[in-house]
Amino acid sequence: MASQNDFHILGKKTIRKDGIAKVKGLEKYASDIALPNMLYARVLKSPHPHAKIRFVDVSEAEKMGATAVTFEEIPNLRYCPRLVSTPEATYKDWRVLSGKPLYVGEPIAAVAAESEEEAQRALETIKVDSEVMEASFDALESMKPGKPLLHETVILEDDEIGIENNIACRLEIAEGDVEEGFAESDIILEREYRTNRRYHNQLETKSVVVNPEPGGGITVWSTTQTIHNSRLLLHQIFGIPMNRINVKKVALGGGFGSSIHTNPVVPIAVALALKAKRPVKLSYTREEDMHDHVSYQMIFRLKMGASREGRLTAGQLDAILDIGAHQIQAYPLLGCVVGWWASLYKIPHKKYVGKAVYTNKVPSCAFRGYGNPQISWAVESLMDELSEALVIDPLEFRLKNYVGKGDIFWGQGPTVKSVIQSCGVEEILMKGSGIIGWKSRPKPGEQKGRYRRGIGLGRGFHTSSAGAPVPSTVVDHGGAMLKINEDGTLDYITALMDQGGGTLTAHAKIIAEELGVPLQNVNVVVSDTQTTVYDVCTHASRGVYAGGGAAHKVARQVKKKLLEYAAKVLDAYPHALKIRPDEEQGQGIIYAEGVEGKEITVGEVASIARHKNWGTVAAVESLRQGSCPPHFTGYFVEVEVDTETGLVKPLRVVAGADIGTVINPTLAAGQIHGGFVKGWSMVTLEDTPYEPETGELMNRGFITDYKTPSSPDTPKLDDFVVFFADTYEPTGPFGAKGIGEGALNPVAGAVANAIYNAIGVRFYELPITPSKILEAFARKEG
Amino acid sequence: MQINKLNTHIVPQKFEYHAPKTLEAAVELLSVHGGEATLMAGGTDLLVKMKQRLVETRHIINIKNIEELTRLERDVEGFHIGAATRLRNIERSELIRANLPLLHEAVRSIGSVQIRNMATIGGNLCNASPAADSAVALLVSDAEARILGPDGARTVPIEEFFIGPGQTVLGEDEVLVEVLTPPLSGNAGTSFVKVGRTSLDLATVNIAVVLRKKGETVADCRIALGAVAPTPIRVRRAEELVRGREMTRETLEGAADIVSEDIRPITDVRAPAEYRKEVSKTLTRDALSIAWRRIGGDTD
Amino acid sequence: MTKIEFTLNGRRRQLDIEPNQLLMNLLRERLYMTGTKYGCGIGECGACTVLLDGEPVLSCLTLAVDIDGKEVTTIEGLSEGDEMDVVQEAYLEEGAVQCGFCTPGFIMTTKALLRENPDPTEEEIREYLKGHLCRCTGYVNIIKAVKKAAGK
Repeated sequence: MASQNDFHILGKKTIRKDGIAKVKGLEKYASDIALPNMLYARVLKSPHPHAKIRFVDVSEAEKMGATAVTFEEIPNLRYCPRLVSTPEATYKDWRVLSGKPLYVGEPIAAVAAESEEEAQRALETIKVDSEVMEASFDALESMKPGKPLLHETVILEDDEIGIENNIACRLEIAEGDVEEGFAESDIILEREYRTNRRYHNQLETKSVVVNPEPGGGITVWSTTQTIHNSRLLLHQIFGIPMNRINVKKVALGGGFGSSIHTNPVVPIAVALALKAKRPVKLSYTREEDMHDHVSYQMIFRLKMGASREGRLTAGQLDAILDIGAHQIQAYPLLGCVVGWWASLYKIPHKKYVGKAVYTNKVPSCAFRGYGNPQISWAVESLMDELSEALVIDPLEFRLKNYVGKGDIFWGQGPTVKSVIQSCGVEEILMKGSGIIGWKSRPKPGEQKGRYRRGIGLGRGFHTSSAGAPVPSTVVDHGGAMLKINEDGTLDYITALMDQGGGTLTAHAKIIAEELGVPLQNVNVVVSDTQTTVYDVCTHASRGVYAGGGAAHKVARQVKKKLLEYAAKVLDAYPHALKIRPDEEQGQGIIYAEGVEGKEITVGEVASIARHKNWGTVAAVESLRQGSCPPHFTGYFVEVEVDTETGLVKPLRVVAGADIGTVINPTLAAGQIHGGFVKGWSMVTLEDTPYEPETGELMNRGFITDYKTPSSPDTPKLDDFVVFFADTYEPTGPFGAKGIGEGALNPVAGAVANAIYNAIGVRFYELPITPSKILEAFARKEG
Repeated sequence: MQINKLNTHIVPQKFEYHAPKTLEAAVELLSVHGGEATLMAGGTDLLVKMKQRLVETRHIINIKNIEELTRLERDVEGFHIGAATRLRNIERSELIRANLPLLHEAVRSIGSVQIRNMATIGGNLCNASPAADSAVALLVSDAEARILGPDGARTVPIEEFFIGPGQTVLGEDEVLVEVLTPPLSGNAGTSFVKVGRTSLDLATVNIAVVLRKKGETVADCRIALGAVAPTPIRVRRAEELVRGREMTRETLEGAADIVSEDIRPITDVRAPAEYRKEVSKTLTRDALSIAWRRIGGDTD
Repeated sequence: MTKIEFTLNGRRRQLDIEPNQLLMNLLRERLYMTGTKYGCGIGECGACTVLLDGEPVLSCLTLAVDIDGKEVTTIEGLSEGDEMDVVQEAYLEEGAVQCGFCTPGFIMTTKALLRENPDPTEEEIREYLKGHLCRCTGYVNIIKAVKKAAGK
């Protein structure tokens, strides 16, 4: 097993590649792009949660000089904005603009004018006449017979299929025999869990700039986690050949899953730009952004059985996903939810029924963890209840049952399975429990006094990419290009986006490590779809494992070619040559070990290759990972509950992560810090409730009433401990796995369990607000 | 708020902008433009409301440059705090911190450093949110609002200044000039407590308390709460209970119960009414205890 | 139209503007200085923070007319060319930058904090930076960066 000490640059603290531009305010995001002659766009949004539009009158806006498009003028087709699934698993129910809006905020028309102010004024002149229809804001209500259908039909691949009871799609899976399993159980617990409807609140609102090119093509800058899928989708919608659509990379001001799919603003801006024949910028306000996307709200009925000895025997999960008005990735999510559930703990007999249901609310999309935070909260809560009933230490109970090394792991759903080859769960739990003082934690409900402290445990994982040994319904591959310049510096070209986690810096480090060159010699090119090969998307925590894997693959190819050239120059054997980085010279030095005088810099070889007309040392490769190894995390959280205000404070956090080889230690720790605060926020603060009479968001889209923590709400530096397990993933680049989503997934469970430990009350609905705490506490004590 | 009229990128309306240098000029402008004009100080409330289309105005009168409105000094009448005094200046003022610690504590809790660099005490009062932190503190401080209009100057006790959510006694053509507060007389203990969803939030409930001690008993007690009624309010029945008693657990509970009976909180997106009632009790107990301990009292 | 005269990152500027023009848009759209960001437009996130006469303010709620006669400092004004401001360097070194969208606002307020209080405690740092939301970092590395910058 390789340790961190064996590496030149991996595991060392370095400055991120895009860092200088970001701290200087010079990094461009989609919302910063400005082109000469550019128009500003505004979208007309449905004020009704469910309506049929009789007419839209944009004549006043056009008289003002604005360009307008309505739902009557866009390509008449339905599409799926997310192209990560294979065609046979892709459900399409979106249109660029809607003539039958299904949620308050759905785009009906759009205008573009010389300034945002003019566009706003033009927008306000548009007249719409609608026939308002009955709306449903609850998934269980939606499914009742007689409720109006949001979609009569949807398209699956190329076939139109009927929708019944507003059930967008469903999935049923079983393994073993649950009835038998429950019959054998010594204890069975069954609970219902309801999550909140969280909004990503990524700092940059969804934005796009489209430039119509001479000859009918377009150039696009947008908030995206995948430039290639954006291009593919625009080709599908508008029919423009793909070599005439260029989607350019710009920095993304926060993704968290909100731009895995191509955001609605993008095709709307394309339609405007094509009509106006001028560049168009469309950047959502915050309040529009909150009406644009939201996480999947889930209702679980979870039943688990165990033996007296503390082994899980059977489990049944009924999941209802409230997906809002349209499908983005509901069907694959149904598979992922059961995949996550089945991969937390070994459940020999299990049954799963999942339904995704339409409601007249903002459409749901992936949110960091993609169902894993939700199901982990439920499972970790129930595991604590089971261990209490069995009188077994919750830690012991987890150690007895977790899915770990050598076990089959369901990854991103039942079609993506692999065997776990690296696992640090024990190290995480044992070490973490020692640091937090697990053994001396209070007993739930035995405390007195106003301020009550509690310690809770939550553990979990996430896949590193959606790789698998055979094709599945999830597309997961990506490619990269690498070339050596004539001075020995390198250009690394990939389509993979860095959402902020530092994945591209990790790639550069992987390349530097493989090639033995100083890190500063590796340039990460800001590329576009024209100059890159396909990469599916930055999601599923695949940036380092799959993307870095591709970087490693292409670096190996380049190294091979480089050493062949070097061998010619040095009169040595290429397979015997090595490369070491020399920071002083600023070059990689190619040498034959033990032989004096047989040394040459990478730059010299590249220069000679140019003079001798041998060709550039370069390679382009694609990589499909053959597995999606779980990265594991565990959180021990100490909270303090003020039983007289219901407010909860995070006192201490001890977080352990098994991510294989740690490439960027400060950024990896940063993922844990950020994941914790998001999980904390998930449990205590976030929700987007609706006004039942109007179907409007109660907070109207203003973050005044969408609270997330500020820095004083988080633990002190000394009270937040992060450590990494000493593991090595054989299938990952230099042993590395992902971290992005594992950093969030178990937090909610840990926090909820800590609250229970403090006040002896369990909650089955998120968020756990101060009001709910006071109420429950009063009932318990009084 | 109509969804297609919201646009927080810009200030959607066109308006004429005036920046008078004297109070008279400001009053003159108000009387000329009447209901079509709005005063602006920090802009942190006004511009948000304009972006949300809750306020449509044709004239904005910026009063930040008027010297008389940024006075921050003490004279024989008491402490004059000009309406256009930035909250950050109040926060930084040693004069205020030493002599009006309650106001200092309340102002420090408002928003962020950036907000306090822009917002003014006059703005906080004239915006008249039932949760206004400075209002709650001033309500127990014998403060007066000094107002100027075309018909002359008038003084209104701060308790009569607020008449409803977002509504004050100011006429269309009147300007709040300053707040006048007498010095806190000897041996007064104060406390301002605020509860929100996070550390950066409007108050779900807030409370300000002033206590005076005589031996072991309470010589005088004032209690005001915000966000629990259409305006910030004094709870005199609770004050009467506490006056003359020792600060025992019983006194604290008694005061808390009365407060929760006399307030009229609503349920809104921030919190249910029941929660506000419960927390008001906690805040009453907490604020009274803190203020009492600050003047050397014992609480059991 | 009104004429305003102000100093921007040390340089004197003169512009004609409309009264309803926000400072944020003046910087971002008129002057192409996009380091200052729009995050919410209502003063709750801090992404639009600039220094006005050295004090952090929210440019999304500042009318451009109100900067007449004043000094405006934006993120672009902290360093020129290859130089780095000590706070910028600290943010880089401590991994305080992830997606980077909140970073310019945070850095501007940090500058003001350290000028006012060169050796702040952790609590003082958190309180001073309260008006800035970050959805990526969980604030830990940011606080570390501020401490590091204070130490320099």
